[in-house]
Amino acid sequence: MKIFQIALGILAAIGGFVDIGDLVFNVAAGATFGYQLLWVIVVGVIGIIVYSEMCGRVAAVSGKAVFDTVRERAGFGAGLTTLVAAQIVTLMTLAAEVGGVAICLRLLSGLPYRWLILAAIVALGVIVWVVAFEWIERIFGYGGLCLLVFAVGAVKLHPDWGAVAHGYVPHLDTNDTLLYCYFAVGLLGAAMTPYEVYFYSSGGIEDGWTPKDLGLNRVNALIGYGLGGFLSFALMITGGALFLGQGIEPSSLGTIALGAGVPLGQIGLLLALVGILFAVGGASIDTLFSGAYNLAQFLGWEWGRYRTNAGAPRFTLTWMVMLVLALAIVMTGVDPVMLTEYAVIFSVVALPLTYLPILLVANDRAYMGRYVNGRLSNVLGVVYLVIILLVSLTAIPLMILTNVGQG
Amino acid sequence: MSEELDLALAILDHQLLDCEGRRCGNVDDLAIEGGPGEGAEVVAILSGPGVWRSRSGWLGRLAAWVGGGGRVRVPWDEVAEVESHVRLKRKATDYGLGRGDDRLRPWIARIPGADR
Repeated sequence: MKIFQIALGILAAIGGFVDIGDLVFNVAAGATFGYQLLWVIVVGVIGIIVYSEMCGRVAAVSGKAVFDTVRERAGFGAGLTTLVAAQIVTLMTLAAEVGGVAICLRLLSGLPYRWLILAAIVALGVIVWVVAFEWIERIFGYGGLCLLVFAVGAVKLHPDWGAVAHGYVPHLDTNDTLLYCYFAVGLLGAAMTPYEVYFYSSGGIEDGWTPKDLGLNRVNALIGYGLGGFLSFALMITGGALFLGQGIEPSSLGTIALGAGVPLGQIGLLLALVGILFAVGGASIDTLFSGAYNLAQFLGWEWGRYRTNAGAPRFTLTWMVMLVLALAIVMTGVDPVMLTEYAVIFSVVALPLTYLPILLVANDRAYMGRYVNGRLSNVLGVVYLVIILLVSLTAIPLMILTNVGQG
Repeated sequence: MSEELDLALAILDHQLLDCEGRRCGNVDDLAIEGGPGEGAEVVAILSGPGVWRSRSGWLGRLAAWVGGGGRVRVPWDEVAEVESHVRLKRKATDYGLGRGDDRLRPWIARIPGADR
């Protein structure tokens, strides 16, 4: 049944919501503020569901992916600026995720980090070259579901559920307002990372969506990102229950896996690491494809994994070059988590000009006919555009003022 | 403004598809003719990095330089249909569109599994 084809939504969401930066950020937010910031995840999840549904609908009805709409609506100059920013963010994130894959493999195997980076790059290249898109979706989307062990871990850690529930109501219970804002803006920015919509909309075209699949699009957006949000809750709760007030700042993937390892033992730890491996692997796939989609769409090249490798030559070459560049970046030994935090700086430029064209095209009756945005989509779309602008304007000042969250 | 001109301006920056549905470039600019007192008329679609030079100042010139400066002129009569993409009447190669993909294809095709 087609309605069960939700791997695209799950992969886009797991890759976007619980990639290496978010994993650390969510747990660190829990370790620093307990459950106080849970409400921010809710705000982020609703935003990404609204815009993913919208860009999936545009893709299904008009056959346009996000960077087609950026080029059309922002024009050449502003579109090119968005492209450059998007490509820098995407490449930095790809490098970070590859580093994450290597860290996971090292934790699982004990082999040297640099060799595992090389292994990760080769494995990704071979998978993308050989495996069909729908199987890539399934392998990484469903593999990432191992992360649900964090939900079990969160329950087993017996958090104060009253405090957890209170976390869903926006409130401020700290002296360090700036740090609180930094985490809030960071969580929102991470929830609405531009590459999620690049990948999701192009993936809809890869999957051959037509207006008949609009129900499927809605289910993908709701369940995929809903699940991504649920996993973020679980991670933040484990962070709060394990580390709050302990003076420990979780800053590595190994520490994060303790969220399942402490309450559930060896099996929990293993499942957590495998889940993280698939999530960062999935995020590598998201960003790798996104980079190639964006460039090809902006320049009008043939693109997509639904073509053969030789059927879309410049698209194929683009992802190959991105893999080589990512290899060079991670091999320098740069900390992958730091890299994703700095990627936020550039995503600030790409954020508004990614989301505004989606909203404009989704309202264009000439393409969308009777599938144009309804009132709810438009109200939420505009509200989130304002939120995105606020995030864009405040992200860099907050980063500087809080010394990248170090206080 | 004529109806045709309206339509043409609306397709600026849109995707070009050939008669087989192949993506083969964008509408990077339009060639418009007409003197004072006459109606303006769109005579061709312009596509390729060379066209970017006239768009967006130094950024366009830089992009054109990086892109190699090639340009293709497709007469307006060759437009078969304008929907969400712009569909042309013949194959991309007949217009000289999509040459970058065509040049690169034999190299990619040498790698085992390229037809997957």
